[in-house]
Amino acid sequence: MKNLILGMATLTMVLAACNNSSSDKKDNTASDAQSTNTPVDTLAKQVTATTETTATASITEILSGYLKMKNAFAKDNDKDAAAAGNEMIKAFTSFNKVALTTDQAKIYNDIEDDAREHAEHIGSNGGNIKHQREHFNMLSKDIYQLVKTFGGGQKLYYDHCPMYNDGKGANWLSETKEIANPYLGKSMPTCGSVKEELK
Amino acid sequence: MKRFKKIILTLLVILIAIQFIQPALNQNGQVMPTDIEKTVPVPANVSGILKTSCYDCHSNNTHYPWYSFIQPGAWLMASHIKNGKAMLNFSQFGELSNRKQQSKLQGIINQVKDGEMPISSYTLIHRNAVLTAAQKTILINWAASAKDSLSAND
Repeated sequence: MKNLILGMATLTMVLAACNNSSSDKKDNTASDAQSTNTPVDTLAKQVTATTETTATASITEILSGYLKMKNAFAKDNDKDAAAAGNEMIKAFTSFNKVALTTDQAKIYNDIEDDAREHAEHIGSNGGNIKHQREHFNMLSKDIYQLVKTFGGGQKLYYDHCPMYNDGKGANWLSETKEIANPYLGKSMPTCGSVKEELK
Repeated sequence: MKRFKKIILTLLVILIAIQFIQPALNQNGQVMPTDIEKTVPVPANVSGILKTSCYDCHSNNTHYPWYSFIQPGAWLMASHIKNGKAMLNFSQFGELSNRKQQSKLQGIINQVKDGEMPISSYTLIHRNAVLTAAQKTILINWAASAKDSLSAND
């Protein structure tokens, strides 16, 4: 009993402490994201064309995290999907924006801002594969556009599953021609078809 | 036994003392130019649902019932609001990129459809925030059409 009361008191203190620290930090994230555009622009001008190859190199890292995630979902593996999500966050952070032109940087930042959040949700929701897949659906759209803009550096297939999301359908990117459905997983592994081939 | 009484007494004093420490209120009092209602069309019936069931944690204007000032509940509520606003803030919806606005609307559809939102720890006390099946449909259809209108502007 005594322990319980003491425990409650401690909990109250902790709650109070948590609440007071770092209040409303997130409120400014949107404006922060906008302000990052400017340094990128100025940096891009200082850099010579020789660094161009690095941009494609780190897109490969983002893509490789995405494909790992896709394969994990096809096997209904929420833990591996979460790990791949965290891998993608790292890849976004280490992505070298310096080599991008102003227009490219604008497109990249727009996509990354959204895609990173989906990767974060997938990364922190191991155990809730349904929620992870909802974010994977939105993430796939972002990564498709990223590949369309910057090139994936490898052959890719843009696949479509007509059944997911109450028949609204969903798309995903794959490195193999064979269908391995990441939305329905083992219950419907071969549902879907190749919509587009990307080089 | 004497020691036990002392502890109870101390806790009681702490409990009374913390009633006087109230977290800052989440009440901006004005409609921001970045409010969702100024970003996408929001019909009156949808606006009503959003106000009752969502805005307490997802906007800059929380409605505080009397019991929300009882500590440590007020801290709990403040932390709910902080987390809620970090994920989605209807008052600052217009600050997001078009792409992100679409993602958030899709997120609303998913969360409402899955019955994840409004969160159960909130509806446990705020019973009026519970969505009926009809309200869910209204909300989902609205979010879907708002998302479509945004993707047309792409």
